[in-house]
Amino acid sequence: MQNDKPPFLGFGLGLRPQHYSEILNGDPNVDWFEVISENYMVEGGQPMRMLDQICDRYPVVMHGVSLSIASTSPLDMEYLGRLKTLAARVKPKWISDHLCWTGVHGVNLHDLLPVPYTKEALAHVVDRVKQVQDVLGRRLVLENVSSYVTFGQSEMTEWEFVSEVANRADCWLLFDVNNVYVSAFNHGFSTNDFLNGVPRDRVVQFHVAGHSHEESHIVDTHDHPVCPEVWDFYRETVAHFGPVSTMIERDDNIPPLADLVEELDHARGIAREVLGSPRLEAAE
Amino acid sequence: MSGLKELQEKFQRGILAGDDAVLAEINDSAKEERETLFGVYRYAYVARLAEVLADDYEVTHSYVGDGTFAKLVKAYIAAHPSDRRSARDFGRHMPAFLSATAPFAAHPELAEIASLEKALADAFDAADAEPLTVAMLAEIAPEDWPKLIFTPHPAARRFTFTTNAAEIWTALHNEAAPPKAKTLPEPQAILVWRQDVTARFRPIGPEEAMMWDEAVQGTRFGVLCEMVATFAGEDGAELRAATYLKDWADTGMLAGYQIAARPSR
Repeated sequence: MQNDKPPFLGFGLGLRPQHYSEILNGDPNVDWFEVISENYMVEGGQPMRMLDQICDRYPVVMHGVSLSIASTSPLDMEYLGRLKTLAARVKPKWISDHLCWTGVHGVNLHDLLPVPYTKEALAHVVDRVKQVQDVLGRRLVLENVSSYVTFGQSEMTEWEFVSEVANRADCWLLFDVNNVYVSAFNHGFSTNDFLNGVPRDRVVQFHVAGHSHEESHIVDTHDHPVCPEVWDFYRETVAHFGPVSTMIERDDNIPPLADLVEELDHARGIAREVLGSPRLEAAE
Repeated sequence: MSGLKELQEKFQRGILAGDDAVLAEINDSAKEERETLFGVYRYAYVARLAEVLADDYEVTHSYVGDGTFAKLVKAYIAAHPSDRRSARDFGRHMPAFLSATAPFAAHPELAEIASLEKALADAFDAADAEPLTVAMLAEIAPEDWPKLIFTPHPAARRFTFTTNAAEIWTALHNEAAPPKAKTLPEPQAILVWRQDVTARFRPIGPEEAMMWDEAVQGTRFGVLCEMVATFAGEDGAELRAATYLKDWADTGMLAGYQIAARPSR
C-alpha cells in the first residue's frame, strides 16, 4: 500500500467539460485538477482524450461520488474494479470519496446521504474503508459531507466520528470547508469545534465551494461563488492546518474558467497572508 | 431505534416512496422542523434526476415542451429508480419507456427521437478505435478484395425508424420549427457513429443499409458485391458497393479489416 502522505499540490480546480479547450489552449493559473471519477468511467471518445491530455500536463486527483462507503449493501466490486482501472490510466496523486452512503438494495439516490454517528456505523465504515484500501492498494481520502438532518441515535459528534474513522481505518481526510460551514449552521455546532476536532496530520485536501441559503438551513449546491463567511472560515482552516492542497469546487451554474481562476487566486492570497510566501513555496 | 441497515432502508423509502417512518429517527433543528429538513433530500433526488434527463434528452424536451416533459420525467423517475453508479446511465430506458407508456406511446416519434438522442450520447463516449481510412484501403492488393471482412467502429450503430423522427431532431437541434410528425411510407435506416470526437447520424438508403448489416456480421466484400447486385441490379453493383465502402471509410465508421483465409459462404 502507498503509505506516504500525499504532497501539497498548491491550488486546483475541479475539471469540468465546459473548460476543456480553455485549459488546453491557455495556460490558466491552476496547479492541479480534480476529476470526478464516474465521469470518466466511459470507454472512449472526447472525455477520455481530454482526460489524457490534462493528465499529461497537470497533477490530477480522482474524486468519486458513488463509493457509498457507509452503505449497508455489499461493496460494489465491479465499481471498485472500474475505479482501479481508471486510476491505472490517470495515476492520480490520491483517490477520494465521501463519508456517506448513496443507497441500498441496488438503488443509487445520487446524493451524499448522512450517517448516524453511532459505534455500529463507525465499525461498519472502518471495516469497509479497510476493504476498499486493500482492493485499491492505497489509502483512501474521505470527505466530510454537508448534511440537513441529525439522527436521534447518534452517540458522538460528527468530528469525533470522522476522526475515529480516519484513525482506525488509517485513511486520509478531505476537509470540505464549505460542508463544515453548512452543517455547523444547519445543526448549530461551532465550526471551530469541528476544526479542532479532526486529526491535523490526516488532512490532505481542502474543498471550498458556494451554497444556497434558505434562511432556516443551508443547502450545499455548489452553484454560487464562495461567500465571505466561508472565506473567513477558510482563513481559520489554513491557519490551523498549514499548507494543504486547496480546490474550488463548482458543479452547477458553471461560470467561465477565468471566474474560477479568480476565486482560486483569492484562496491563494489568503493562504499567502496567513502562512507567508516562504512557507507556501517551501511546501510546493 | 433502528440499526444502521434498517435506518438506511427507512431513509431510502422516505425518499423514493414518501414514507414518513424515517422522521421518527430524525431530530428537529433549532431553526427548522424535521419534515422540512428531510424534504431537502426528497427534493434533491427528483431535481437531480430531472436535470440528468433534461441534459440527456434535450431535443425530446424541446419537442414536447416544458409541461409534458415534466410529466414524462416524473413518470420515468417513478418507474425507473436509478440502479447505476453513474447518473449518465439513468435515462437509458427512456426510448423503451416512451414506446410502452401511455400517453407517450400514442406518439411513436417520441420514442424514436429519444432513441436517436441516446444513440448519439452512446456514440460520443463509446470505445476508441483507429479508423480504417481510404488510404489504407488503397493499399490492399486487388486479389484480396473479395476476401475482405470489415470491422465496424465500436461507436457505429444502425437503427430503423418508422417516423420522421430524424427530421424532427434535425429541425429542433437547429432551433427551427419541427415538421409535423408522420409515419413514413417505408421504414428509414439510420447510421449513428462518431467521427473523431463528434457523434453524428445520417439516414441511408435500403441498399446501403442491407450492405452495412451484412458487412458488420462479417460477410466478405466479394459476397457483399453479389448481394448489392441482387438487391438493385447487376449494372454498376461493384461501383455502388465500393462507393458505400468509401463513404464509411471517409467518415470513420470502420475500424479495420481482415483478409478471410478461405471463402466463408
